[in-house]
Amino acid sequence: MSSAAESLVLDRPDQDQKEGGERVNPVDFKMVTFSLGGKDYGIDIMTIKEIAKFSNFTYVPNSFPYVRGVYNLRGDIISILDLRILFHLPVPPNDSDIENGLILRLEENVIGIVVDSIDKVIGISSRDIQPPHPIFGDINIKYISGVVENSGRLYLILNAESICSKEETARRSDAAVPARTQLPAAETYSSAPGYVEAPAGGGGAEPEMDFIRDTLKTFRGFYVTPLNDAWFSKRFGEWKDLRQRKSAELQLKSAGDADDYLESFYSADTGKFWSDNLAAQYLRILGDASGKIINVWNIGCGKGYEAYSLAGVLSRKYPGSMIKLWANDNDLIAISTAPNLLFNDEDIPEYLSPYVVMGKNGSSFQTDFKNKIFFEYHDALHPSSLPDLDFIFVRDVISFLNHENQVTIFSQFHEKLKPTGVLILGDNEQPLDSSAWKLVPNSRSAYKKS
Amino acid sequence: MRVEYINPFVEASYNILKEVLSSEVVRGELYLKSSSTPVLGVAALVGLAGDVEGRVLFDMTKATAIGIASIMNGEKLNAMDELAKATIQELANMITAQAVTKLHDLGFKFDLTPPALFTGENMEVSSSQVEALIVPMKLSCGKIEINVAIRERS
Repeated sequence: MSSAAESLVLDRPDQDQKEGGERVNPVDFKMVTFSLGGKDYGIDIMTIKEIAKFSNFTYVPNSFPYVRGVYNLRGDIISILDLRILFHLPVPPNDSDIENGLILRLEENVIGIVVDSIDKVIGISSRDIQPPHPIFGDINIKYISGVVENSGRLYLILNAESICSKEETARRSDAAVPARTQLPAAETYSSAPGYVEAPAGGGGAEPEMDFIRDTLKTFRGFYVTPLNDAWFSKRFGEWKDLRQRKSAELQLKSAGDADDYLESFYSADTGKFWSDNLAAQYLRILGDASGKIINVWNIGCGKGYEAYSLAGVLSRKYPGSMIKLWANDNDLIAISTAPNLLFNDEDIPEYLSPYVVMGKNGSSFQTDFKNKIFFEYHDALHPSSLPDLDFIFVRDVISFLNHENQVTIFSQFHEKLKPTGVLILGDNEQPLDSSAWKLVPNSRSAYKKS
Repeated sequence: MRVEYINPFVEASYNILKEVLSSEVVRGELYLKSSSTPVLGVAALVGLAGDVEGRVLFDMTKATAIGIASIMNGEKLNAMDELAKATIQELANMITAQAVTKLHDLGFKFDLTPPALFTGENMEVSSSQVEALIVPMKLSCGKIEINVAIRERS
């Protein structure tokens, strides 16, 4: 097409002279115009075989995202590209199965392209076509052969050959690269809220694994997602050995089996005061305090052991700061005893002992120490009015939310956490979107915003 | 919502309702609801201020409201007239005030606003950025939902 346009440009001076110097430019270039993402585009009519309505594409696995599939055009099989996806333009929702499109006849082959809607055929003078400006942002410049104005609208003229050659290179590289590596796993998950528990890696090929995923969800509301997939796969190997030795069935038949499976999932010292050893581990992770007030959010505090342990560690680390710890749980029965927790003196680890007072019913914490913690009956998925946070401490909670809620809660964390803040997950959990978080050095499951 | 606030509201609602209706009252399961709340038909609202900010909403159908007002006044009322409205407001005031008194004993300072009454069809209450605790109460003449939304003053 470009060579045709050039030859027209060369011819033009003669034409003008024949017309006696009139300023009317001859119509020598016709193009079919259409819209993509609300903007106007044109393609040289000479490359267009026909205007078509496509339905029933046959999906081709492992092809590039912009390849919609193949289509049977009266016995000829042609491939169909979606230009909006190729150019990263928004795709308007389309309820019907029918898509507007054009079929292009190129030098080598015939391809179909999907567009938002076909407008009309307009005739212009090739003299009015201006070269594309190098700073055009939304479409890679190599696909544009020029820009033209017609009845007050600007049309980008696409170069059909270069679009097709893109497809050719894509195909070639597609054959060379294994399909799985084309999209990083994190991107696939975060962009798909309706993600079903489909295994991402090759290891998930075993059907027993899928079955265990389903039964964990049914019996214990535990969702296997990238958050805990690493643990899940590892545990599956152990589980297989364990069940074989006991000559028991691999599958989870009851809630008890699910609990057995999840046994190694829970973080250290769940449901009791942290040992001095664990407290020392967390103490090491904590960085320097950013201010006089340290705001902490502890989700899933249960009966309050975790919240008190955390308050003890923070008080030791930041003696000069005011600590405000919001401890939430949506289990009303568990949390209702938390503000006035009673315990045996011998259960108390050393780092918490400065805050204990003896009472007639058992030991409890000093009022000043208790005042650092606000126990709230709260569902973490509901809006909250927390200030910006220094720490978010949420161990083994998010795994019990469905994938959509997991995505929501991680974005909430990202929003609420200060730039220097730290997110601490369960020992066997990692952030869904690994690109948004980075592991704190020497820690097992503490993350900062990246 | 802070755990310490829950019991005073539950106890006050139970005690006052039982006393004024002189009949059995059954408390339903407590739960949390976020922001938008449809209103059954009659809603009495009491605002809270002080250490916290928030409000308590007493939500019931018109028939339940008339039923309660009839029992409290000792005469059969047939419509949502001035007397019935004043009675429901008074009930809201009594419950909230008793809860606030209990909270005061625990060291929390709350003030309350005079009750306001809303009646109508298809109403909805939205409080952004705060979730509400729902205390459902089953009475002889219907049910009341007590909807408590409180947050700390930041």
